[in-house]
Amino acid sequence: MTILFAILEVLVLVVAARVANRSESPPAARLRASYGMGMAGVVALGQVLWSAFNLPTPEWSVHWVAIENPHAWVPAFSLMTCVIGFTAVVLSPIRATRPKTFARILLLIAAALAFLVIRHPLGLAVVWATSAFIAWLELRDVRRMRKIERLFAIYQVPSVAAVTAGAVLLINGHLNAGLALVVAGVAIREAVIPLHSWFVPFVQHAPMGLVVAFFAPQLGVYAHLELIRAELPHQLGHVIAALGAATAVIAASLGVAQTNARRALAFLVMSQTGLVAFGLDTNSSVAQLGALLTWQVIGVATAGFAMTLASLEARRGDLSMQVPAGSFTRTPRMAVAFLFMGFASVGLPLTLGFVAEDLLVQGSVEEFPILGFALIVATALNGISVMRAFFTLFSGSSKHIGESDLTRRESGVLTVVMATLLLTGMFPGFTVRGLEQVTERQQRAPSISQTSGQAQHATPPTSPATGEWRRSRRGCRFGRRRARPRAPHQPGPARGLAPTSNS
Amino acid sequence: MQTVFNSLVLCIVGFPALAVFLLGLRSWFSDAWSERTTIVIVGSAFGMSVLACAITASWLLISGVSDVRVVVGTWFSAEHYAFEWIFIADHLSLPFATFSAALIGLVAAFSMRYLHREPGFARFYLLLALFGTAVEFVVLAGSLDLVFLGWELVGLTSALLIAFFHERRRPVEHGLRAFVTYRLCDIGLLAAIIALHYMVGSSHVAPNPNGPWDSFVVPETVGGATLVGLLILWASMGKAAQLPLSGWLPRAMEGPTPSSAVFYGALSIHLGPYLLLRAESIIGSSTWVAAAVVIVGGLTAIHATFVGRTQSDIKSALAYASMTQVGLIYVEIGLGFPHLALTHIVGHATIRTLQILRSPSLLHDHHHLEQAMGRQLPRTGGHLERLVPEPLQPWLYRVALERGGFDAWLKDWVVAPFLRLVSWVDRLDESWVNLITGTPAVTKARRHPGPDEAAP
Repeated sequence: MTILFAILEVLVLVVAARVANRSESPPAARLRASYGMGMAGVVALGQVLWSAFNLPTPEWSVHWVAIENPHAWVPAFSLMTCVIGFTAVVLSPIRATRPKTFARILLLIAAALAFLVIRHPLGLAVVWATSAFIAWLELRDVRRMRKIERLFAIYQVPSVAAVTAGAVLLINGHLNAGLALVVAGVAIREAVIPLHSWFVPFVQHAPMGLVVAFFAPQLGVYAHLELIRAELPHQLGHVIAALGAATAVIAASLGVAQTNARRALAFLVMSQTGLVAFGLDTNSSVAQLGALLTWQVIGVATAGFAMTLASLEARRGDLSMQVPAGSFTRTPRMAVAFLFMGFASVGLPLTLGFVAEDLLVQGSVEEFPILGFALIVATALNGISVMRAFFTLFSGSSKHIGESDLTRRESGVLTVVMATLLLTGMFPGFTVRGLEQVTERQQRAPSISQTSGQAQHATPPTSPATGEWRRSRRGCRFGRRRARPRAPHQPGPARGLAPTSNS
Repeated sequence: MQTVFNSLVLCIVGFPALAVFLLGLRSWFSDAWSERTTIVIVGSAFGMSVLACAITASWLLISGVSDVRVVVGTWFSAEHYAFEWIFIADHLSLPFATFSAALIGLVAAFSMRYLHREPGFARFYLLLALFGTAVEFVVLAGSLDLVFLGWELVGLTSALLIAFFHERRRPVEHGLRAFVTYRLCDIGLLAAIIALHYMVGSSHVAPNPNGPWDSFVVPETVGGATLVGLLILWASMGKAAQLPLSGWLPRAMEGPTPSSAVFYGALSIHLGPYLLLRAESIIGSSTWVAAAVVIVGGLTAIHATFVGRTQSDIKSALAYASMTQVGLIYVEIGLGFPHLALTHIVGHATIRTLQILRSPSLLHDHHHLEQAMGRQLPRTGGHLERLVPEPLQPWLYRVALERGGFDAWLKDWVVAPFLRLVSWVDRLDESWVNLITGTPAVTKARRHPGPDEAAP
């Protein structure tokens, strides 16, 4: 049923993109794109309710793309992706966003939704390439972004090539080479240091809605989960975790000293992505849970944060952070939204970011005590970046150019985003419980060697048939790692903010 | 009966939280309430909180029970880790919670006239209520995890209130400076939480038969206890403005006088010593940590007493006076006099709040006093001139005027090198981008902020 919903969401967005593209003006395009995104969101909500109430599900799969059962958390994450898309569309300033741009935002979100339900490596590679191509088309269309377009292509073409080649190799049983290529491709897309140089100029110059739609859904994280996580050798996993931690700290340090608001945002996002990469490659399921939650927090909170910044930029022009020169009095709601979402993305207490950060740090310390400390430092620096951005952009001067506060439209969307972050943070039991159950279920699945009868580190059968890939992948689930003994499963304590005597 | 007192403990935190919720929702969705309504909400919330504290404290005294432990439930959990909401009202937390709620309520009432018709009236009261909620969280927390939750919010509200007069640059810069200090010290608190979870399995406040009140479980090894103790000490130093992290405190007086009084005279600055008191078992189990606490407090007290005497404005002088007293409190804690330290905290907080609230009327009060005495007020501080040799006095005066040079040292040896390194990395990245895209490098003057402009 998840697949049906996903197809419906994608269709709605593709149609809406076409309609938006044909709009006569940016305001009309934004309106139509908003409706389209809203309808996709309704479908995603329906998907969540369908799975929450365990309504009947027809059992079928599309063999030619080998869409096996998507992960159980796909409905919830699809809804979050729709929230990201809605934020990107509704808050995109019409002065800087053409109808074609709105169309491409919708297509990028459609690609992200499709990505979540696909589990076949080649399918993932195709969508990976599609999303990069859509973003590149947008950069190519605008003359002043020629340099950025070139830079984007220089990095994304190898990323697409690496992921595609890696996918082919994985299917054909060349595990190590395939993994290496996929890791490289994902690292470029996720702006892991030292493959990050495209990202900051991209965030600095591209339309913010496009940036959010391209990056916030974090396709690289899903690719990491689906293609890399289960097959990664232990030592390489440590290396990637170390790279993630290094990215988190270095990006956080760079972000603190920026004088351009968009560049500071870019480094903040990079740092948070580094945290996710770190958490996914630990052996601790607590840290992995934290990484998954951080993934969603980056998406939703950063989308709101970035689009608020875009709204402010549309009112004031280029935003410099050299000295405090803003006026809180003119835009109080915008300032509050900016501050809230900025801090929510770095772990404001009582938001989902706090839960994610806490799980991430607590889960990683046993395996990586020093890197775990680095995470704490990165989080502290990110908080400083957010506060600095807030103070320099919204205070320090009584002068203003008459900019207006949030409109009703903007206020409505940001209220939804903030409420989502606050409510999921104050009542995280359902989210954490759901993710943990999925993780435990995946860990109990048979390993590759048990299903295929081969040695523990042997490659899957070399038959290229997708059915073969699917069978050999049965044991390769999120949470399993090769050549590592599995601890006996321990039932967790009571969950949710309820008296501990209740389960 | 137990349920009643459990509910009362929750009310101590719950009423201020409700005030925050009401004020926040109203401000977001509509225009803020009138001044009178805002005062009533905040004043009532903290009044009810005081009442709940008083009833709980009375019951503890009468019944002879040592503490009321309220387990609300598990906020979230995964495998072996669980974040539980546990509140504890005992001989340490209840006095602090009571006078916190009382002082905030009084300051709220005081501010009704002081900030009357101030454009940021609603914002002030919202932040004050949020601060009060956070303080009660920290004080009543039954685990270090929950302390961290309130601790972060205290830092946030403190910085926002320092920058209350946001249309001037200086308050904003000073607010940022304070926040940076808090944030860097919060690293210690989070690291201590993780270390406790790793070493003893939880960061809960546990019964401590050998101590004056419940405290954290002590790690088995002296090394572990020392590590956790030093991390907690580092965490406390930021809020308590101890050397060498004291530079933010006099600058923090840029905020409204009522917030300066309640934050830096009474509550926020004493959260550092409070944390040390709660970690009394860990400090007592490691001589190194106790010695570090004494040294930090002693040096701060000496530094602050000299520097305070060179200040030319009353609020800065009071800031350094607060710093001196907090330094002495640290010494008392390190030497193992927790009850003395707690009494010192309560007394100091009360009198300092009064002094700071009266500080705008300093000259007026001075004249009144001299009129009543019929002569000029006697000069104070003469004993120091007798103690310090005369050749040293000019040098000491100059050092005190420069506040010990710690600010300059931090800027020159910590902040500036960090910013230079970061700028160099950023320029390297940009050069690489220009190289691979074939675009010429553009020389920009001052692309990156100097130490004066960026994060302090």
